[in-house]
Amino acid sequence: MEFDYPRVLFKNRKPDRVATLEEYRESGGYEALQKFVGGRVSPKEVIRLVSESGLLGRGGAGFPAGMKWSSVPDSSPFPRYLVANADEMEPGTFKDRVLMHVDPHCIIEGMVLAAYSFSASKGFFFVRPSYESSAHILERELEIARKAGFLGHRILGTDFSFDIVVHRSGGRYICGEASALLNAIMGKRPNPVKPPPYPTEKGLWEKPTVVNNVETLANIPHILRNGPEWFKGLSATGHGAGTKLYAISGRVSRPGAVELPIGTRFSEIIDEHCGGMAPGARFKACLPGGASTRFMTGEHYDIPMDFEDLKKIGNRLGTAAIMVFDHNTCLLGATLNLMEFFARESCGWCTPCREGLPYMLELLRRIENGEGREEYIPNLRILCKQVWNSYCALAPGAAEPVISLLDFFEDEVRQHISEKGCPFHAKAGH
Amino acid sequence: MPRLVIDEREIEVPEGTKVIDAAEMLGIVIPRFCYHEALGSIGACRMCAVKFLQGPFKGVQMSCMIDARDGMVVSTTDEEAVQFRKRVIELLMKNHPLDCPVCDEGGQCLLQDETVSSGHGVRLFPGPKRTYRDQYLGPYIKHEMNRCIHCYRCSRFYQEFCGYRDLGPLQIGDRMYFGRFSDGALESPFSGNLVDICPTGVYTDKTARFKLRRWDLERAPSLCNQCSLGCATVANGHYRGVMRVEARFDSEVNGYFICDAGRFGFSYSNGGEGRRERPLGPKMAGAPASGPIALAGAREALENIAAKYGPEAIGAVGSDRNSLESQCMLALVCKTRGWLGPVFFSDPVVRRKTLAAVEALDGELAVSMREIAEADFVLVAGADPLNEAPMAALALRQAARKHAPVVVIDPRSIRLPFDFEHFPASPEEIEKYLGTLLRMAVEKDVAGLGKEGEEFFRATGFENFEPPAEMARLSELLGSSKRPVILCGTDVSVETTPAFAAECARLLRISGKQAGLFYLLPGAGSFGAALLSETAEKTFGSLIEDIENGVVRALVVAESDPFHFYPDRDRLERALSKLELLVAIDYFPSETVRRASIFYPASTIFETGSTYINQEGRVQFAQPVHRGGAPIRGGQHPPRVYSGLVPGGDHLPAWKVLWQIAGMAEEIAGGHGDISPQNFIPAALPAFDGLGAERGYPVDGPRLFAAKPGFRGKGGSAGGIGGERGEDPESFDLLMVEWMFGTSEFSAWSDSLDAALCAPYMSMNSRDAARAGLRDGDRVSVELDGGTFEIEVCVSDRTAGGVLVVPRHQALDWQKMKDFPVRVSAEKIRKI
Repeated sequence: MEFDYPRVLFKNRKPDRVATLEEYRESGGYEALQKFVGGRVSPKEVIRLVSESGLLGRGGAGFPAGMKWSSVPDSSPFPRYLVANADEMEPGTFKDRVLMHVDPHCIIEGMVLAAYSFSASKGFFFVRPSYESSAHILERELEIARKAGFLGHRILGTDFSFDIVVHRSGGRYICGEASALLNAIMGKRPNPVKPPPYPTEKGLWEKPTVVNNVETLANIPHILRNGPEWFKGLSATGHGAGTKLYAISGRVSRPGAVELPIGTRFSEIIDEHCGGMAPGARFKACLPGGASTRFMTGEHYDIPMDFEDLKKIGNRLGTAAIMVFDHNTCLLGATLNLMEFFARESCGWCTPCREGLPYMLELLRRIENGEGREEYIPNLRILCKQVWNSYCALAPGAAEPVISLLDFFEDEVRQHISEKGCPFHAKAGH
Repeated sequence: MPRLVIDEREIEVPEGTKVIDAAEMLGIVIPRFCYHEALGSIGACRMCAVKFLQGPFKGVQMSCMIDARDGMVVSTTDEEAVQFRKRVIELLMKNHPLDCPVCDEGGQCLLQDETVSSGHGVRLFPGPKRTYRDQYLGPYIKHEMNRCIHCYRCSRFYQEFCGYRDLGPLQIGDRMYFGRFSDGALESPFSGNLVDICPTGVYTDKTARFKLRRWDLERAPSLCNQCSLGCATVANGHYRGVMRVEARFDSEVNGYFICDAGRFGFSYSNGGEGRRERPLGPKMAGAPASGPIALAGAREALENIAAKYGPEAIGAVGSDRNSLESQCMLALVCKTRGWLGPVFFSDPVVRRKTLAAVEALDGELAVSMREIAEADFVLVAGADPLNEAPMAALALRQAARKHAPVVVIDPRSIRLPFDFEHFPASPEEIEKYLGTLLRMAVEKDVAGLGKEGEEFFRATGFENFEPPAEMARLSELLGSSKRPVILCGTDVSVETTPAFAAECARLLRISGKQAGLFYLLPGAGSFGAALLSETAEKTFGSLIEDIENGVVRALVVAESDPFHFYPDRDRLERALSKLELLVAIDYFPSETVRRASIFYPASTIFETGSTYINQEGRVQFAQPVHRGGAPIRGGQHPPRVYSGLVPGGDHLPAWKVLWQIAGMAEEIAGGHGDISPQNFIPAALPAFDGLGAERGYPVDGPRLFAAKPGFRGKGGSAGGIGGERGEDPESFDLLMVEWMFGTSEFSAWSDSLDAALCAPYMSMNSRDAARAGLRDGDRVSVELDGGTFEIEVCVSDRTAGGVLVVPRHQALDWQKMKDFPVRVSAEKIRKI
């Protein structure tokens, strides 16, 4: 099956191995570095181009990348730090891992350019333990880039120096949160810290620090080489910009990570790029952007998968990790599974998250096991609302599947209570 | 100054005030767990949620996290906020055990209070409760993790505020655990505060465990009299004993916290087993006597001595643990009856140092511990804060946390819970280091310092002194500081140092800084003792000579034990046995009490109202907590005899005993009835005018200053010092020092402190150790004039050269020296 869509980040994707430096350079790699860093183009120009391109952060929040860099005050002290966030622990999300295994130099070049834009001198590549193979690849390729003069002391013979270390973290979901991640790098407990001050003013060791997602960084060389207009033109919608890595899992024929224009319709992603639903499976719902987004039903099957469009229906693109559930899947069971994860991964800082998520978990588990009571449903609804007053976004995110489960599938939940057990259990025959 | 409305009431608050504090100013106490004024806000517990109706924030928000701003309208009673707070309580109570009936925190538990006030009464959560394994945290703190509500107060206090690292948060999610990496005694000597700061019963006082219910206690604001700082405490009495001591908030002195020596060192007042049994009954010639008979007997015996040898044959001895009342009564008795004294000090040098410190403090220079915490540069000269006045170390840490450099000039290998610069200088060299650092700091402004400054400069030109390299950087920091503080000790320093430190502080003042001065004195009563001994120059050393010469025939010893402090025990024993009469008034079962011909039991600070002036001149009053008497404990029941008398209830305040046995009833209070300290304290010294009224003091205490601002012109050792060591370079100076645990009388008689003791050791630096052929960990015997003592050697290069540092430890038989200073030659230290 061949489709006519642009290949940017996955341009050098090989079925069985990582793209080499040579292959990356043949495809235009490190040209942007040579032009902007080698040519000593003003860092402000780099920021301007990225801002103009409309690149939104790919880590889940969709914050404009250029704006983040420009929020490092000109007068702020040195050294400044750049962190590539490869903690990728949102359930269902695996696009960054694929990207690191496809074209690591694309990320490395993106980091050097990002660092150049706000004069950072040190970069951290923050990887979780289960991504050891990615850490290994990165370390190998960083050394190759260093030898080629694209990284390290006096890059391309200029007076700009920037080096990257791979930071193997203990690995926790909360480390995906930028301020918690910074605490972890500094050897502290990874508790999130509320701004102000923002990390771009006082981050690692009180110095300006920018945290970007791996995919965000990988887009930078392409934007700078081809220009913002080109980047905007990649989008399938008028308002989006660039391509997007969608990671599809669940009951589809061909799950996996695909690169598509941002804003590609959900129906197209499933039916054409994933070979449709798995044999015998009917679409019931999906989580469109990872575990901390709302269930999306067939009603929006045709929706363009972009930040703005999902926001309009009260959902989020998140990490664009699409988890597809079919008519035979118990969504309460799926939600329970996610809640086990969230309750386990709470950092324990604030009460609503530390105690509230296990509370939800207990109620969900009881309903799933046939011990549910009617009053659990309103209690869950209130709890979902109340966890919005927790310290960071973890607990509100964790509540999203639960509240949307009750919004769209309350009958199914009630069925668990009235039938004193999971209705899908019997049907699935296990 | 933002103006905001909270619950329909308007208030204007200083910039930077959190909404939770603004509400408190209106008398609205918003529930909270993690927020604590000393620790700041972190927004973890989410208990202080209120609803913001207007202004820059909207909706339910945490009032501890948001600064008050103009135009805010806040409701603490909004239904949404109330429901949310109720939910937070429900979530916290989800796992909290309902063991309140057997929990020591019951009745003073913040969680209990907030649960009731939130209205959460029925458990809706259907699941089981979480359980943890508790840890052994040492002899004082009981750990009960099941009760934890994860507010982070303990770890923030322990790590951030105190600077110790062995207790903290472990694990994540609802498995979070506050404890140590493994079981073991807590390392912080401030660990007792965990009991106060924990909003529920995770950390409880082991010494009081299962002994009391909060509502049964007799509680009163008291003071700690174990060192010169005078920290505020609340003492809890029950069953005629003190059950527990807690910290009391005092913004100027100790803030919210106290040290473990002060918290757990109260058991002397209840008495212990065997030799530590508190003497509660009066005795004459070793036999029990009734109170009135003992008092009359003592009065008669003293009158006989006075008639036979003249009143000056009676020596009156007090100490630095006397209350101001007792000290004034001693002074007054000596004045009216003609007795010799009062003698408050053992060593004339210590008396002069203390007096110099007291005379140097004026209203401009004297700073409180709160002001130390706000200093931007601290010079510690000849003081070991953690051992001599532990809470001062905590105040220094707060300054250091705000990046104030702390420079310690001291011969000991000082330990403090933060990073500091240490110059290990011998006592003679302290002024040289201090003066040089100061010189370098203000040198460029010297022209503007006037005549006094020039004089100071002339006096501090230390010849042949090559300042250490770090001094240049430090002097620059001192030069650019705005609120520097000099903290000066009076124990190991030479005689001139306290006055020299004051001149240094004054010089910093003239160079335009808000410089402060803070002394550590030998004991809680030292300030008063120094003022009262200004004219009476006698010290205990010279009194011994008087006894030996037959000039003094009788001693009245009030709350003092020469056996604890006098350096030559043999001589003391011989002298005391020469006496015709020894009257002892005390609450400790001391050797002096054992030898007394007449003994009368004194009340402790917990049983009598008493005044103390702390080292910064702050007059403070400790309320009586309970009436005392033989404590009821261990299943014992008081004798079943119907009587109006309390068993063991004969004790009186020491001043009252003195008043009676000196026959002063005629002179004061018109010869009949009772007497109040108001009647005699003002009479003792003009400076004490107005003191003595129990309830008349403001909360933070009136300040008493002996000095007037301005240069004294007696620049310490000016010219006279050069840091010269003694005649024999082969010998060592023996420095006897204080330790936080094990050297004070309170520690000797409080079995509750036994668990905190560690074995004494002698520290010396490596060059000296090599010279004496010793290694770290060696056990040695040190030969003194009157015998030997045995001790372990600890080699530290942060100990100054030429000194041996030895604690006056209760486990060490050190009182075998003729007099201070003591020099020990290398061959007198033998390895065993």
